[in-house]
Amino acid sequence: MPKRQSGNKKNKQSNFAKLSIFQPNKYKFKRTCPLSVKGAPVVDYKNIKLLKKYVSENGKILPSRITNVSQKKQRELSLSIKRARNLALI
Amino acid sequence: MNLYEHTIIARQDTSPSELKQLIEKYSKIVEKNDGEVVKTENWGLLNLSYLIKKNKKGSYIHFKIKGKGIVIDELEKNEAIDKKLLRYLTVRVKRFDLETRYFGKKEDSEKNESVKN
Repeated sequence: MPKRQSGNKKNKQSNFAKLSIFQPNKYKFKRTCPLSVKGAPVVDYKNIKLLKKYVSENGKILPSRITNVSQKKQRELSLSIKRARNLALI
Repeated sequence: MNLYEHTIIARQDTSPSELKQLIEKYSKIVEKNDGEVVKTENWGLLNLSYLIKKNKKGSYIHFKIKGKGIVIDELEKNEAIDKKLLRYLTVRVKRFDLETRYFGKKEDSEKNESVKN
């Protein structure tokens, strides 16, 4: 369990969903947005390595409640994933 | 004046000399319409993640263009009827990122960042 408490009620609720057996281990209990931190990589349609992390095996975009990406970054992500799809990069 | 990133995908069987002709052809169109090609990148032959017109691979060419909207209109008009090309994509950006290269060389800085996350 994380030591820090962000005090966000929504997060506490969604933690139950993350305990589900269907979730892979690596997505459990991450609270902060991995893309809003200082020094985070830029979301860009050319940065395939980054985009692939936020795409399921079938090529679907993962919901932000699983990856804990902030709303703003999720919008950027989905746009750049769609651009990369058009160029057949993903 | 706006800044654009423009990417085109050519068929897999285009030869290097034909690719050069393509680059010249489209840079000329840009210059005719008072635009300026800041940089051209050749990403090389990459695997397409799905078939496009029965092509498994495609040669990617990336332009960084400074100019007005007319330039892009003219470019896309010509590219739509070009049979050597598979796809094109134009994105307007606030400023150019001339340093990071996502294709060709593998970068160490990106790897470090991914480890942190």
